[in-house]
Amino acid sequence: MKSKQSSLKQMNAIKGWTLISPYIVHQAIFFGYALGWLGYLMFVKWNYLTPPKWVGFDNFVRVLTDEVFWLVLINTANFMLYFIPIALIASVFLGMAFSKLKVFKTFVVLSFLVANISSGVGYSIVFQKLLSESGPINRFLFQQFNFTIPWFSRPQLAILAIALMVSWKFIGYYGLIFLAGLNAIPQSLYEAAKLDGATKWKQFTKITLPLLNPSLVMVLVLQITLSFGIFTEPYMITGGGPMKRTYMFMMYIYENAFRKFTSTGPGFASVISILAAGISFGCIFLVRKMVEKEVNLV
Amino acid sequence: MNKKRKKVATVTFEIGMLILALFWLYPYFWLVFSSIKPQSEIYTQFWPSAFTLENYQFIFSTSEKMNRDFIRALMNSLFISLTVTASVVFTSALVGYAIAKFKFLGGTILKNFTIFQMLFPGFMFTIPTFVVVKALGLLNSLAGLIVPALFGAWGVFMFTQSFRNIPNDFIEAARMEGASETRIVLSIMIPIARSTASIVGLFTFIGIWDNFLTPLILISDYDKMPLSVLLASFNHEYGSQIGALLSGAVIQTMPMVLLFLIFRKYFLEGIAVSFK
Repeated sequence: MKSKQSSLKQMNAIKGWTLISPYIVHQAIFFGYALGWLGYLMFVKWNYLTPPKWVGFDNFVRVLTDEVFWLVLINTANFMLYFIPIALIASVFLGMAFSKLKVFKTFVVLSFLVANISSGVGYSIVFQKLLSESGPINRFLFQQFNFTIPWFSRPQLAILAIALMVSWKFIGYYGLIFLAGLNAIPQSLYEAAKLDGATKWKQFTKITLPLLNPSLVMVLVLQITLSFGIFTEPYMITGGGPMKRTYMFMMYIYENAFRKFTSTGPGFASVISILAAGISFGCIFLVRKMVEKEVNLV
Repeated sequence: MNKKRKKVATVTFEIGMLILALFWLYPYFWLVFSSIKPQSEIYTQFWPSAFTLENYQFIFSTSEKMNRDFIRALMNSLFISLTVTASVVFTSALVGYAIAKFKFLGGTILKNFTIFQMLFPGFMFTIPTFVVVKALGLLNSLAGLIVPALFGAWGVFMFTQSFRNIPNDFIEAARMEGASETRIVLSIMIPIARSTASIVGLFTFIGIWDNFLTPLILISDYDKMPLSVLLASFNHEYGSQIGALLSGAVIQTMPMVLLFLIFRKYFLEGIAVSFK
């Protein structure tokens, strides 16, 4: 009896392994083997053709002493300085608006989400034209108020413009995250607060915000990850300019690893990608340390 | 009195949000209108004075002679996205089924591993993926874009969660009748979990359709490019052909918008599920 059971268990395991084995092979190649390559590339100089040459920590020294690396880091911080507060505040309010809407709820939510599924290349082209010197927005500003905004020719404006476009794309999605968080807050808390005479503002700061903490952390993590991985928008619109001030990590990696003429080889670029990943993890860790709180609903 | 004021506030709020939503859609309206009006009016007026298809004509016929074959690119994009989507839905269901319904060590390890994998930011894999694809001899081929994407950790995760709630009775009954495990997944598990299947399928399709960096790196021939990269290269070299460029952007964007509108119910569900 016992041996029958254990053989059944064995059969079960064999079937299980059979089902997952193609996946394991695939992941071994495109995750494990790939990561191994990344680890190896950091310590070699290579042009993809001749055998790689071991250079030890040379790539690290070269990246850390490259002015561009520090400029890219500043650019990323600069971008986050606009993007994080703008999109975070907007999407908290948007989430609250979603939860209050009755008649037009579906239409409004869908409108904001359609922005989120716009194609990266497509929406970059659209915003590039919309915001261009002679584009419709500047034309309108000029006709009504007699001034124009040179969005893509001043560094801070260019970073702001990209932060605004990305916000256009993402606040619907983030707003939905907050909506889910808001729906999890029991209405009884607000009723109790009302009985105690708490103002709307008090209710917002004492109930809504603290209980939204998990959603807040989640959106912040998504925003940080996005900021370090952003590529299509600066590549398509500014090419990293003006004065390299929209030159972000992914472009830096791309140009060093793949682009003819600017390529310094995959070794140098691998070190950049590891450092960028490390710094973004550091930011996420910091945010969790500072913002995340244990939320207990009793 | 107070009640009346409250009602006015509610109506104002609803209408205000409606206007804001329309304002949010403005870039889409502008894009679509621009693609069907004469090029000279794109920057000067919102409503087209005349309706024209010349921009689309340019994209579909003239651009071919400029070595930018949009129809070919559209077919490439469709082929890549559909193949990957079909594969990811099927393989994720298979692996998710194994993890959720077979109690064995490999399943437990794999489940933790998929969660661990999702911690890695995508940009870390740009360079090594190129190297591995090159080593497999798949550079500059559609297969190079398809093969690395045939399986997905996120899909496995989603199916595992969803299959867990399906009672084992169905599976036992099917086994009694001699159905193979693949058969069970295909004709029992996926149909029951069709909302998960739609979510995984939709997000995968859109993710692949919209992917830009990977094909930019892996593909160098114009006739093998998906739409995203071809459109970017068109923008790079013929950016002054705004009308044609924008109609290209419509062609690249609209399939995703249509899919979204058709499957909006699953989309909202999918987003809600991934927050848990």
